[in-house]
Amino acid sequence: MTDATQTPRARLALLRPGSWRPLAGLGLAFAIAAALIAIAGANPLTAFGAALSGAFGSPGQVATALTKATPYLLCSTGVALCFRAGVINIGGEGQIALGGLAATAAALAWPIADPFAATAAALAAGALGGLAWAALAAVLHLTRRVHEVLITLLMNFIALLMVGETLREGLGEVGAGFPQSPLLPRAVWLTRLMPPTSLNVGVFIALAVALLAALLLWRTTFGFAIRATGASRRAAAYAGFSVPGVVFGVMCLGGATAGLAGAVQVMGVQYRLIEGYSTGFGFISVAIALLGGLDPLLLIPASVFFGFLETGMAAMQRQVGVPSALVGVIEGLVMLTVLAGTASGARQARV
Amino acid sequence: MDWAHLLDLLAATIRIATPLAFAAMGGILSERAGVFAVGLEGMMLSGACGAAVGAVLLGPAAGILGAALCGGAMGAVIATVTVRHGADNMVTGIAANILAIGLTNFLVRVLLGHGASPRIHIDLLGPVRIPLLADLPGLGPLLFDQPWLTYMAALVPLPLTLFLSRSRWGLTLRAAGENPLAVFAVGGDPLAIRFRAVVACGAVAGIGGAVLVLGQVGTFTDNMTAGRGYLALAAIIVGRWTPWPTIAACLLFAAADALTLRVQVFSLPVSSYVVQMLPYALALAVLVGLGHSARLPAAAGTTFRRGGG
Amino acid sequence: MRGIAKSYGAVRANAGIDLDVEAGQIVGLLGENGSGKSTLMKVLFGMVKPDAGGIVYKGRELSGHDPRAALAAGIGMIHQHFMLVEAMTVAENVMLGWDAAGRWLKRGAMATAVRDTSARFGLDIDPEARVGDLSLGRRQRVEILKALMRGVDLLILDEPTSNLTPGEVAGLFGVLRQLKAQGKGVVLITHKLHEILEITDAVVVLRDGTVSGRRPTRDASAGDLARMMVERDVTAALPRIATGRGGAPLLSVVGLTVAGSAGDALDDVSFDLAPGEVLAVAGIDGNGQSALVEAVAGLRRPEAGSIALLGRDVTGASVAARVRAGLAYIPADRGMTSLVQGMSIAENLALRDIGRAPHSRLSWLRRGGMDQEARRRIRDFAIRTAGPAAAARDLSGGNQQKIVIAREMDRRPRVLVAFQATWGLDPGAARFVQEQVMAMRNAGHAVLYVASELDEVLALGDRIGVLCGGRMVAIVPREAVDLREIGLMMAGHPGGEVTA
Repeated sequence: MTDATQTPRARLALLRPGSWRPLAGLGLAFAIAAALIAIAGANPLTAFGAALSGAFGSPGQVATALTKATPYLLCSTGVALCFRAGVINIGGEGQIALGGLAATAAALAWPIADPFAATAAALAAGALGGLAWAALAAVLHLTRRVHEVLITLLMNFIALLMVGETLREGLGEVGAGFPQSPLLPRAVWLTRLMPPTSLNVGVFIALAVALLAALLLWRTTFGFAIRATGASRRAAAYAGFSVPGVVFGVMCLGGATAGLAGAVQVMGVQYRLIEGYSTGFGFISVAIALLGGLDPLLLIPASVFFGFLETGMAAMQRQVGVPSALVGVIEGLVMLTVLAGTASGARQARV
Repeated sequence: MDWAHLLDLLAATIRIATPLAFAAMGGILSERAGVFAVGLEGMMLSGACGAAVGAVLLGPAAGILGAALCGGAMGAVIATVTVRHGADNMVTGIAANILAIGLTNFLVRVLLGHGASPRIHIDLLGPVRIPLLADLPGLGPLLFDQPWLTYMAALVPLPLTLFLSRSRWGLTLRAAGENPLAVFAVGGDPLAIRFRAVVACGAVAGIGGAVLVLGQVGTFTDNMTAGRGYLALAAIIVGRWTPWPTIAACLLFAAADALTLRVQVFSLPVSSYVVQMLPYALALAVLVGLGHSARLPAAAGTTFRRGGG
Repeated sequence: MRGIAKSYGAVRANAGIDLDVEAGQIVGLLGENGSGKSTLMKVLFGMVKPDAGGIVYKGRELSGHDPRAALAAGIGMIHQHFMLVEAMTVAENVMLGWDAAGRWLKRGAMATAVRDTSARFGLDIDPEARVGDLSLGRRQRVEILKALMRGVDLLILDEPTSNLTPGEVAGLFGVLRQLKAQGKGVVLITHKLHEILEITDAVVVLRDGTVSGRRPTRDASAGDLARMMVERDVTAALPRIATGRGGAPLLSVVGLTVAGSAGDALDDVSFDLAPGEVLAVAGIDGNGQSALVEAVAGLRRPEAGSIALLGRDVTGASVAARVRAGLAYIPADRGMTSLVQGMSIAENLALRDIGRAPHSRLSWLRRGGMDQEARRRIRDFAIRTAGPAAAARDLSGGNQQKIVIAREMDRRPRVLVAFQATWGLDPGAARFVQEQVMAMRNAGHAVLYVASELDEVLALGDRIGVLCGGRMVAIVPREAVDLREIGLMMAGHPGGEVTA
């Protein structure tokens, strides 16, 4: 072929696992971040030093980073599965928010005495909440053929406002002065692993979900269908898979993991639903999914990295006075560099 | 609900529609050239940041220039990743929006706040009264006593329409969005055309950000565009990628938004949260109602490669 | 053109080719698919940079030029796939990328100019028509018009007749003679001998990237040219045994109607496939072929009509159910449909059978089973590859098609649907595909073979069907074929009784 027009949607699904490109993107992102730190009038080395000690300086700080990484890993797992199928689900923000809302509502509405049953029920409610929201997006996308990015983006705003509305009305704590729910019953609190830090068993749930996603993707016929659909929808249809079914299925899976992320955050860290508790989680998860090459197992280091990045940058702001908004810059740059690198190398990519 | 309230609602609609209109007009350039403009949000935000920094340091004119430059720069970043490297337009746009949020937060703090969240106060651009027309009873003061950027927003569709349908560049730009190979075959460079279109989109959308800062809010706050870029994107689709209908769609979404600010005035029996959903829900409903559009530029979102291999 | 050479990786597309064209001369460039014709012309037009060699045009050296420079110098190219913007009018397409159209488009003046040029060369083109609404023959004239209006003196036509009806071909040749009379040079790329003999003044034959012969057309005979074009004789008759063709039909299509755009719809098509027969369907591309095969394969829902497989109605059945019922399907497009290029050969061999042993059990993939199965098929079907783990995209077209054949045939289907199954393959690989099709027929199964090469259709079919405008205008037994009549029917002329 001399000239070719290709659909990047298909090529997005061709991110090559284990490729060096994400790391190169990371390097470039940090180089630009160093330049920005210099503009801010600080020595980049000092600043990064502060960030490093802030991230790894004590067991408590490591625990904090892992706590932050937990919802990211859950949500990015779903994002990665969707992207693998060529479905660009940007609805993580809304799905997480509604997952937290559903878990809170379930825990407050039907208190169960047995801690295990109560926790399981609340987690399931969270997953279902996210799943339902994603399923609605999938139905609108499939029946009306509107691009899923537009649908999920607009639904994010609606979901966040829905959380605000329920906290104002039914679920809100009277007299709190801030839109938040009352404390959840103790039975649904996820066990803390390293008090006084917030690190909780949710981190194991996230690891298990990533592992299951890897098995699903590489070892099951549904995973095979996901990969075929992402590489070429025509080939998937020819192979006998129902493409709308696969799209609906991965959207539901993505919604469920995002909802679970919300539930774990609410039940493991805050013990209550707070308005805006998950702002940015959904988008960070997209960055992580790309950095991890859409490979569920590689998402584990990628999300842990972002956890450390955030705690480190917060420490940098405290000690050196460089704004921690740099986190967002690095996220955006990582995504852009990975995208640019991936698209260029997609001709050799395997699925 | 009386006449005065309705006029007030109309005024708010026009005010809210102005930044949307700029962003949407920019987005038309990008999408007609074949690149989805999901990055409008980030372009607007970059423009808002550029406007704030320019206006604080050098004055309002520099603010407008800074907005166009910063928006254009964000456009160049997006164009590099999508057009040059052929990455997915949608995800790249989202990534650019995330980058813009982080970068503007950072730069505003560093350049204007010595590392902390700055207190910025910028005098709003005053209204420019158009003699005679503004004296018309009823709508006169409403329509013809506006900041000059608003007049500009209302007029931009005219040159844009002429450019797209009557100029050689416009023809080539549309062809790049419909069939880049056809452009290549007659000796054009579809990649360069798309690149320029996205940068121009950024500059125009950046001015939309400047409208927010200089015409409405008078300061820069974190993530102050708050989804306006996505509404502009929806307006383009509803407007079928043509300037005047897109402006109408912007006014529609702006009216929904204006209603949210006036919910108490009209004493509607719903909470502000529900009313705030209105523009997004409306955009979603209209998009879903319209369904897939045959008018979408045929090669939108596809990449173009040339040379052997 | 002197000593043009161009390689893509290990593939030598052009190796030292010379070509001369004089004013007022039509030169035919003859060769099989992949012989290097298109590459050579892309070099001339500046779309591809040659590795070696040079071009002298009107006494001036051309090198490192791009299409814009080629056009400016007076070289125009009509691509096989038209480079037109369908959503725009003829006039807009003419103005595209042309400085003479003015910085602000002179719409009125250009429309007049289009009408004038169109009249002068007898092209009959309306400047305000939307290109998307025009027939393929018309679109080609728009392309020629574009080139002429830019003052082109050398026109390259890449396989210009491949999508045209015979009537349109005659019209095109009329236009070419006009061009010749007005002193323009023309290069006609084709692999059809009779076109060379009919219209050209000189012919250059390419094979495997080198010139295998050249002479004035009046000194050339069809047999001569054919021998130069293909090294060995691949048109020997395929083994065909008497199969009786009795028994209940394996595939029954009744009143099949598929909605779609023009050229991609089907209108009330009926036929039966008996055991031991090949129904080969001829037709010019874009007369409902994809609608037919995709509806039978289950990829498209018909609007009306029914499809029965081995006597069972499968009209509403899924793709997977049809596969299970014994239907195999070889699609035309290997790039995006019949193979997942980024998956391994083992996975591609299992693509349509992933839900069954030995590929999986209870929804769990069995990598070992897939691998073993793949090794066996690689051996049985002589697929040349490094192993089952290699990516499908790393294989040649012929070996890729062998993967598809191995997967579809090894399942022991009763009915095979094949669409352009030899497209883009070298003669050896094409022969392999045809032999597999005949073997299936000889074993008492049924084949629906849809192709655009009439020679191939005639070589394979027990009965020959003709699709035109989405209708099966005739089905004729092999013995009763009248070539002239089939050609007329392909072109949409009524003729020949329907003997289904």
